[in-house]
Amino acid sequence: MPDVHVLVVDDEPDIRATVSAMLEIEGYAVTEAANGADALHRVEERAPDVILLDMRMPVLDGWGFAAELRRRGHRMPIVVMTAARDAAHWASEIAASAFVAKPFGFDDLITAVEEVRPGT
Amino acid sequence: MTATELISLVTQALFVGLFLATLWQLLRRPSRSSLDTLLLFGSIAAVVLVSRIAEWFGLNETLATGLTIVFINMAPLAMIRLVDDFSGTARWIPWLGVAVFVGVSAISVVAYQSSPRAIELILIAWFLLVGGYAAASFAWAAARSRGITRRRMTAVAIGAVSFIAAIVLVLVGALVESEVTSVIGQLLALASAIAFFLGFAPPGWVRRAWREPDLREFLQHSIHLASLTDERKAIMDLQSAVADTFGATGAAIGVADPQGRVLRYARRTGEWLESPSDAFIGGRAFTQQRRIVTHDAPGEDPENASTYQEVAAHTVIAAPITLEDRRIGVLTVFASRAPIFIEDDMWLLDLIADQTGVLLEARALNAEEASLQSREEAARLKEEFLSAAAHDLRTPLTVVLGQAELLERRAARNPTAPVDAAGIARIAREARRLRDLVSQLLDVQRLEKGAAPMELAEHNLWDVVSAVQERFGEHGLDLRAVPPAAPLVATMDRMRIEQVLDNLIENAIKYTTSGELPEISVDWEGDQARIAVIDKGVGVPEAERERIFERFYRGSNVEKVTDTGMGLGLYICRRIVEGHGGRIWAQPTAGGGTTFVVTLPARPAVEAVAGPGAASWQISPAGSEAAADA
Repeated sequence: MPDVHVLVVDDEPDIRATVSAMLEIEGYAVTEAANGADALHRVEERAPDVILLDMRMPVLDGWGFAAELRRRGHRMPIVVMTAARDAAHWASEIAASAFVAKPFGFDDLITAVEEVRPGT
Repeated sequence: MTATELISLVTQALFVGLFLATLWQLLRRPSRSSLDTLLLFGSIAAVVLVSRIAEWFGLNETLATGLTIVFINMAPLAMIRLVDDFSGTARWIPWLGVAVFVGVSAISVVAYQSSPRAIELILIAWFLLVGGYAAASFAWAAARSRGITRRRMTAVAIGAVSFIAAIVLVLVGALVESEVTSVIGQLLALASAIAFFLGFAPPGWVRRAWREPDLREFLQHSIHLASLTDERKAIMDLQSAVADTFGATGAAIGVADPQGRVLRYARRTGEWLESPSDAFIGGRAFTQQRRIVTHDAPGEDPENASTYQEVAAHTVIAAPITLEDRRIGVLTVFASRAPIFIEDDMWLLDLIADQTGVLLEARALNAEEASLQSREEAARLKEEFLSAAAHDLRTPLTVVLGQAELLERRAARNPTAPVDAAGIARIAREARRLRDLVSQLLDVQRLEKGAAPMELAEHNLWDVVSAVQERFGEHGLDLRAVPPAAPLVATMDRMRIEQVLDNLIENAIKYTTSGELPEISVDWEGDQARIAVIDKGVGVPEAERERIFERFYRGSNVEKVTDTGMGLGLYICRRIVEGHGGRIWAQPTAGGGTTFVVTLPARPAVEAVAGPGAASWQISPAGSEAAADA
C-alpha cells in the first residue's frame, strides 16, 4: 500500500504530526501542509490520492481550498477533520467524501481514509 | 334698525348671556373667582338692562344715568378682583379699587348733571387706569401660562382690552360728539363680548377644538417614553409633560403595586419613594377611585403638610390612572396657585390620566420585551462560549488521544522499540495546554459571574512586579524592569494582578520571534500607577488593538508564532484590571513591537508608611534599586 499518498492539511503542527504518524504506521505516504494555500502548492508538486482537510485555517481556509482544488480539475477524495459540531454539514458543503470529528482516535481516522482511498 | 343698533343689540345679548352663564357657574361651584366673574358680567348686564328699560318703558333720566354710572364703574373693580384671583396682586390693590370705585361713583352720580364733561373725563381716567392695569395683567398671565389655560387667558385678555377700549371710545365719542368713534366703540364692545365668551364660558365645540392640540402636544412629547427602559426616567419625563400641559408647577405619578397596597413615586434623587396606597391626596384619589381637587393641600392633609410646602403645592388635583378596570396608579398635578379654569378642564386631566396609563403600560411591555431579549442574548453568548470552548478543547485532546494510541500500537507491535520521545513530549505539551484552557475557562466563568471575590490589600507595586520578574528569572528569563521614581502603593488582589503581569509577559515572549525579552516599567501619573510591558515582537495591527481584549478573539497574525491560546488571556486581564478600577490597552512600541499598559489607582507610599497595616508593604528605596538590578 505504499503507493497511497495522503496530504494532511491543518494549521496545528501537533495535529499534523499526530495524524501523519498514525497514517505512516499504517503504511501510507504522507505530505503535510499548514493551510489551504500551502496545500495547493503541495498538490501541484505531487497530486495526493486522499486529502485530510481541517476547515478553519489562516491564509486560505478549507472552503477556499476545496473550491480552488476542484476548479483546477482535481478529483481526489477529501476527508474533513474538524472540531466543529457541524463537521457533517461542512463536509457536505464542500462535497467531501467523509469526515472525522476531533477528537478522533486511531481507528476513526484510518477507517475514514480506507473508505475513500482508491482501490477499495 | 341701523347696523350700529344691531351690533349694539347683539353685544348686549351676549353680555346678558355671559351673565346667565356665570350665574349658573357660581350656583354650581361657588368660589371667589366665580363670584368676581359674576360681578363683572352682572355689572355690564345691569347697564344693558337699565338702558333697555329706559328705552322701552321710560325711566327717570337722572336715575337711569346714576344707575348706569354706578354699574359701569363696577366693571373695572371686578376686573381688579379677577386679576387678584388669577395671578395675585398686592393686598391693598383690590381695596384701593373699592375706595376709588365708591369715590368715583359718588362724585359722578352727584355731579353728572351739573358738569357732565368733567365727570366723563374722570370716568375715562378710571377706566384707562384700572381697566388698563387689569387688561395688562391678564395679558401677562396669558403669556406665562401654558396649555389650554393659555388659550383661555388670551381670550380674556383680548376681551378686557377691547372692553376698556370700547367704553373709553364711547365716552370719548360722546365727549367730542363723533359718530365714527362711537361706531368703533360698538364694534370693540362686540369683540370684547365674543372674546369674554370664549374665555369664560367656551362652548363645547371650542373646548374640543382646543383640547386637540394640547393632547397632541402631550402625546408628541411623551410617546417616546414608552420605549425607555429606565422606568424612573420615563416617569419623570411624563410628569413634566403633564405639568406643562396644565401649566402647573409640577406633577407626580404614583405607580401601584399589583396588590394596590403601595404607590411608588420616582424621586429626583434617583431612588423610589414608596408610600402606603392611601397616603397623600393622590393616595386618597387612588383608594377612592375618584378625582380629588383641593386648594389647600397642607390643610387638607396635615400629616404631609411639610411635603406640600416643600414644593409649594397649595392646589392639588389628583386623578386615578386606570386601564381596563386595572388600577395602575394615580396622577397628581400641583401648583402654588390654582391654574385658572382648571376646574373647568378636569376632562383634560382625566384624558391625560388615561393616556398616562397607556404609556406606562406600553413602557412596561417594552421593558419586559427588552429584558427577554437580553436574557436570550445572554443565553446565546453562553452557547457561543460553550461551543468555542469545546472547539478549543478538542484540538489538544485529539493530539493526546492520537499520540497515546500510537504509543499503544507501537508497544504492541514491537515492545522493545525505543521510547517515542517526540510523541510523549506532544502528549505532555497538549495535556498542559488542556489544563491551562480549563483553568482559563473557569477564570472567565468566575469573573463573569462576579463569583470571584477579590482579596484586596495594599501592596507596594514594585514588590509585586519584582516577584513576577523573579519567577521568570527562575526559568532563565531575565527581564529588565524599571522601578518608579518613588514607591507606589495600590489596593489590589495581588494574585490577580500577578496573573495579569504573567499573562502579558508570556504573551510578549510568545509574540517575539527574535528571542529578545520584554521589558517592564512602572511609573506614576496623576493618581494612577502605570505598568508597561514593552516587547519588540510581531506587533498588533492597529485595527485589532481593541479587539484583542474581546473574548475568544485571536490576533490575525498569531500564525506567525506557535499559538496555543484560546483567545481568553487578554480578556481575563481586562476583566481583572477593570475590576480594580484601572485600564488596560495596547500601543505600538517605538521601533516595532507592542507595549501593553496597565493603569491602577495608586498613591505614593511615603505618606502611608505610618498608617495601619503599613508594615506589609514598607520597603526601603535601596531594596527596589537592588530588585531593579536583578
